[in-house]
Amino acid sequence: MARITRRSLLAGAAGLGALAAAGGLSACGSQTSISSDPKELVLWYWNRSADPKLLAEAAKEIPGSDGYHLRADVLGGTWDTKLRTSLAGNAYIPDLTFINSNVSLYFPNENMFLDLNDLGAQDYKDEYFDWKWQLGVTPTNRFCFFPLDTGPTGFYYRADVVKKAGLDPDPESVGEAIKTWDDYVEFGSKLKKNAGSFIEITANTIFGQYINASPERYFNKAGKPLYMEPSNAIKDAWNVAVKAIKAGVTGNQQNSTDQNAAWTSGKTMGHIEAVWWAQILADTAPDSKGKWRLASQPVRAGNSGGSFVCLPHTCKDPEAGFKFITWLNNAKNQATSFNDVQLFPSAIKSFELGTMKSSTGFFGNQDPLSFFNKAAQQVPTSFISTYETQAAYFSTEITNVEAGKNPDQAWDDAVNQTNKVLRKQGVEV
Amino acid sequence: MSTTEQVAAPVQAGGDTGPTRRTGNRLKKFWPQYVAVAPFYILFLVFGAFPLVFSIYLSFTQWDGMGPQKFVGLAQYRYLITDGRFWNAVENTFIIWFMSTVPMLILALIIAFLLHQNIRFKGFYRVAFFIPNVTSMVAMAIVFGSVFSDSFGLINSAITALGGKEFGWLSDPWGIKITIAVMVIWRWTGYNAILYLAGLQSIPTELYESARVDGASMFSIFTRITVPMLRPVILFTVITSTIGGLSLFTEPQVLLGNDGGTGEAGMTIVLYQYNQAFTQFDFGYGAAIAWALFIIAVIFAIINWRLVSERDTTKPKKSRRNTPAAPTSPEASR
Amino acid sequence: MTATLNVGNTRLADPTGPSSAAARRKTLVSRIVVHICIIIGVILSLFPFYWLLTMSTHTTAEIFGYPPKLGFGSTFLENVKAVITDVDLFKALLNTFLISAAVAILVMFFDSLAAYSFAKYEFPAKNVLFTVLMATFLVPGSLSLVPSFVLMSWLGWIGNFAALIVPGAANAFGIFLLRQFAQSSIPNELIESARVDGAGFFRTWWSIGVPMMRGGVAFLGIFTFIGTWNDYVWPLIVLVNPGQQTLQTALATLNSIYSTNYGEVMAGAVISVVPLIGIFIIGSRHFIANIAAGAIKG
Repeated sequence: MARITRRSLLAGAAGLGALAAAGGLSACGSQTSISSDPKELVLWYWNRSADPKLLAEAAKEIPGSDGYHLRADVLGGTWDTKLRTSLAGNAYIPDLTFINSNVSLYFPNENMFLDLNDLGAQDYKDEYFDWKWQLGVTPTNRFCFFPLDTGPTGFYYRADVVKKAGLDPDPESVGEAIKTWDDYVEFGSKLKKNAGSFIEITANTIFGQYINASPERYFNKAGKPLYMEPSNAIKDAWNVAVKAIKAGVTGNQQNSTDQNAAWTSGKTMGHIEAVWWAQILADTAPDSKGKWRLASQPVRAGNSGGSFVCLPHTCKDPEAGFKFITWLNNAKNQATSFNDVQLFPSAIKSFELGTMKSSTGFFGNQDPLSFFNKAAQQVPTSFISTYETQAAYFSTEITNVEAGKNPDQAWDDAVNQTNKVLRKQGVEV
Repeated sequence: MSTTEQVAAPVQAGGDTGPTRRTGNRLKKFWPQYVAVAPFYILFLVFGAFPLVFSIYLSFTQWDGMGPQKFVGLAQYRYLITDGRFWNAVENTFIIWFMSTVPMLILALIIAFLLHQNIRFKGFYRVAFFIPNVTSMVAMAIVFGSVFSDSFGLINSAITALGGKEFGWLSDPWGIKITIAVMVIWRWTGYNAILYLAGLQSIPTELYESARVDGASMFSIFTRITVPMLRPVILFTVITSTIGGLSLFTEPQVLLGNDGGTGEAGMTIVLYQYNQAFTQFDFGYGAAIAWALFIIAVIFAIINWRLVSERDTTKPKKSRRNTPAAPTSPEASR
Repeated sequence: MTATLNVGNTRLADPTGPSSAAARRKTLVSRIVVHICIIIGVILSLFPFYWLLTMSTHTTAEIFGYPPKLGFGSTFLENVKAVITDVDLFKALLNTFLISAAVAILVMFFDSLAAYSFAKYEFPAKNVLFTVLMATFLVPGSLSLVPSFVLMSWLGWIGNFAALIVPGAANAFGIFLLRQFAQSSIPNELIESARVDGAGFFRTWWSIGVPMMRGGVAFLGIFTFIGTWNDYVWPLIVLVNPGQQTLQTALATLNSIYSTNYGEVMAGAVISVVPLIGIFIIGSRHFIANIAAGAIKG
């Protein structure tokens, strides 16, 4: 009975299927626009990713454009799905959209986005941190993703715990004490021994932040995996993480409740993260105000997070759109955005204007603004490949090592699993 | 209780007992029934068929959700068969399903039975049992995280305060499965209990009264009256809980994120499907996983159906037009 | 509507016999035990919800603080005000209510019709049709986003509430559910006698079928309402116009990529849940009505 039913169902549906496959997926006929107003450009952004004052100004008129105004639609946390669905269905695509730091996800489909160089982006190149600019360049050297905010990283630490361990809590000397990654693990051991405190919540954090600060990552621009080379940055990051695990300096706090409690209570006294984490810390642990300081992390600062803005290929008026992008991100406005919604600028001159207000107090008398400004200048230029999504398995495995798995076995598993998936995608490994 | 529909005297609109089977006559005679069931099929054909066929087609392609689809034949399925992570997810799903569905349904039945008694505050209890099903996911993530966390969770704090050793509820492979099962039981027991309660309403009270007056214990009332009367509804919950258990997604995602926790101990089939489609942007593989799950689900649904309906055929029936040699479709089971 | 019981069928008219004191004691003990069991269950069920309520009265810091604060804080009004300011709450509530109610009513209507047919009538190809229905029940969902979106785009329904209401107006789940209810609670004799009185299919459905399936229909209506109310992904994909949000898509915008005000988010969650509790209380009256056998009017 059931067999016949399914067969007849499939038979009837096969006809539909043929139609679907033949007709392709994009909507037949005209592409439907997201806004009926010809002088209106629609932007998709998420809460606190743009200064409301600037958006309000652009809603009246985009400065420098020919009478265009902006309609900014705020969407929930992760609307990757919505954007991709619209692009895939070729309907109701916004004229401008922000993209989160996972911009490399869109590289395979870069033709869905306009090359901003065609609109004169090269004229603005020198105004921004080069490493940030390069992140928006696709493997075919099209520049599609314009810099918004950045996330230079540093070592947040509890000065009171450092003092309790009998070490010098001053940022300069802490920075000096953790100049290399081996020194960092050494420092962690001392903290563990004398103050019973972990230097980091998870080994995965160390692994990830090492890579964020490295000029070499998982793949080169041609798509060749680098983690199988005799000497490569990923293996180095892995070794540091394993060293930290073996020294027992990571807290293995995988769950956010444990993490927050650990930082609040001092059981874990540090975290390598970007400038935007300061706000989260202040919101979730205001009682620890004054106890935290910032020190430069081992070797050099890296970048974690930060977003971009781009023009999908269906943009109503690319020139007006580009005007908005460059206006929103000029040095003056990025400085304003920092003051209003704590978006750390990617424009170099923002820091020189003197209008950026630094919030002291949480870090004692240390100024986080100048700290991260310095950090931003150290971030190396690197290439983030779209295949790093598939390489996420390395993170899974380092977490397994922290839970007790044999590190060499874990490394081999990570490499094999990643290669297996890459081969399925058609990449030669 | 209701007797079988296939009584000698047919209960049909138009009541034609003749064996004449001219199609035109049949359709005309049964048009109300066809009209009554049509809406679902029409809606399905319009809104469900295309996406369904598309997802079958997807499972034969390589697609990242945005670009062109590349036809790859059976490559996704071949990969699936050798994919250790998939079979790990299957194992997890079954274990968690067993740990959660069985206690949950039994508990729900007991609670429904208790709520059906003549006790006070029934309305309040009903609301209380219903609330877990509507509590928001964000809140649950925080609450369950705070209760089950390794170092700072409520349960482990209580255990260590009493002198025990803290247990990795969210990091140990079995701990993870237990925690997920607990969350599923917490969320769905009330829902099923209320469903049973709704079903209990149609059991005539005289049966209970006479049994009670005869001195029957609550237990024997429960096993001799309640459960048999509720069998169709129980069948429903067994099937839907099985399907729900096989498609378990929300609870592990809320508790552990998209990776299924340490060692992927909490990775269920649908979570793996989601992981592959929406975080790895491999929609073709996601589709293959989804259809593999469909096949598994069909097998299981059939087994469950047979298991629960089969017991009915051993009870004496009033009359049957055909005496079946073996258990047959559900229509004949009552 | 009788069934054979293995317990005797004799009725004792007079309950005040010599064994009744013991019987009364037994009843009291069992009632206490019942109450205790229920109360434990209630505490376990309500505890996380209670925690949600307290979280909505706290600030983000208090929510993530350690040890967790389980008492009520003082920030509730502030949180609610923040929600109302950041989000067009009343419009979202109204939209969501209309959509959920529409779907619930349609589902109750169409599903009860179909279920009544499947449960109480024989017609050609019935088994095939029902098997197909069960098969669609098992079909995977989440991958259909893009083709469904394209379909809606073709129909011109993007940005239109029809896209949220029509596709779900009849579903396999509900039909299966009500069929089981119909099977167990509608006696064939009633339908027979109504037919003899001249009532047709639809009349018997309305005057006999629905009232006797009442518990199931109410259950389906309530939980369809809740499901539609809580749906997030599909409305997110389909709605594109500003001011046209459902409650879940509106509340989702409170999450920013960096720092989120969790007190506000929790207040939003509470606001989202309260109407559902109301719907449940109103709808569950229909579980209570005791349908005595044989006493059906009309």
